Amino acid sequence: MKRSTFYLMLVAMIPMTIILCAATLLLAAVKVGELAPTFAATASDGKTYKLADYHGKYVVLEWHNNGCPYVGKQYNSGNMQKLQKQWTGKGVVWFTILSSAPDKQGFVTASDENSYMAKMHAAPTAALLDPSGEIGHLYDAKTSPQMVVINPQGIVIYDGAIDDKPTTDVADVPGATNYVSLALEQSMSGKPVATPATRPYGCSVKYSDSSH
Amino acid sequence: MALCSARAQAAGTPIPHGTLELISEKQWIAAGHLFDVALHFELEKGWHVYWVNPGDSGEPPRVTWDLPAGIKAGAIEWPAPRRLGTSTIVNYGYEDAVTLVVPMRAEASLASQKPVQIAANVKVLVCREMCIPGNGQVSLTLPVKLQPPPANAQSTPFFAEARKAWPRPAPASWKFSIAQTNDSFVLTAKLGRKITDATFFPVAESQISNASAQTLVPTAMGFTLTLRKSDQLFKPIARLKGVILLSGDKAYSIDVPIGVPGASGP
Repeated sequence: MKRSTFYLMLVAMIPMTIILCAATLLLAAVKVGELAPTFAATASDGKTYKLADYHGKYVVLEWHNNGCPYVGKQYNSGNMQKLQKQWTGKGVVWFTILSSAPDKQGFVTASDENSYMAKMHAAPTAALLDPSGEIGHLYDAKTSPQMVVINPQGIVIYDGAIDDKPTTDVADVPGATNYVSLALEQSMSGKPVATPATRPYGCSVKYSDSSH
Repeated sequence: MALCSARAQAAGTPIPHGTLELISEKQWIAAGHLFDVALHFELEKGWHVYWVNPGDSGEPPRVTWDLPAGIKAGAIEWPAPRRLGTSTIVNYGYEDAVTLVVPMRAEASLASQKPVQIAANVKVLVCREMCIPGNGQVSLTLPVKLQPPPANAQSTPFFAEARKAWPRPAPASWKFSIAQTNDSFVLTAKLGRKITDATFFPVAESQISNASAQTLVPTAMGFTLTLRKSDQLFKPIARLKGVILLSGDKAYSIDVPIGVPGASGP
């Protein structure tokens, strides 16, 4: 048995249901149900943030690229900012992660990002600068806006799309089922996360080796 | 390319980094007859659009038809895609140009003897390094006549070319089976000859890990191909349906049941 699978079974026994436990046994290299990999990063506010410092809290990771139309859909509609305010207001730690390489779409300096966040009224806990793609690769982030939710025990409880409408159309935001909110709501009320992983739609993360 | 010059006078509707054109194979429509139209995308060098399963990012073109009463659109005939992307993010799609043929049916009740308009609104995501969403409005006006419609000479080679890119049904003599391990599906193909180059494209999303290398082992009678399961595959699936591309250019549709883990094969 793989170590990760074994670990998964251990953790699944406590906060999760037998359903998830059974389902995950079919999986390969799952991240959901496993301990979230730790990282430390410098944010646009100049501070260093370490995931390990937030043990005991829910943490949301949001992959961001301000040139991506799927990200634009969430920000131009005000939806992402609303989610950030709603959940940080409930004690959730929200990290926007910028994994675009320096010569790629979505790469920003700290001051670019601070201006963008001020203009958009974005309200994450911090925007982490990841131009090396290290955090992105650690989580195997494929797209912006890919979303990850980590529970207070440090276990990944959701990984995938922001919602169930994989389009760039702002008109699709109001009717969408938001998987991040669902995961947080269900987990906070002691329920299993019904949809713990989805295909993370959007633009590919613009890593340094990316040509698409 | 001769095809391009033959169509040069036909004005395409602009879409991001390319053009979109709606083309009819036949000269007119007759009640009770089937006819094909095609959405042809011409893109600037290196730009791409997506297959029905776009892979790790992106989305396929989405078509909304605006048709007169008595004309019905069928499903898009998707040409075999190619793998696009990098070592960590893989997409399925078409670079530079693609033609999506759509079968249409003129019902016997089609009463109009006046020309009818066939129109489509196409939402399309066009990507190279970055992605740009676009919208193409295209339309065609075709006469309606009683006689069976002849082909449009200008379109004929064009449709022939498009159909060549469709995956063909796999020959009945070919045998496929799929076994699974915890983390992979293993596709075994017996085609009667050794195969050294094969790529599988799943029609459905979130079944296989798109970016994982597909490990091919040639056998005397075909090959085995190991496909890593998707991290998003939470429920067991009964079949894998998709396109198998041999030697980079011969594409076949396959729909193969998946063996139960642990059970011995047929």
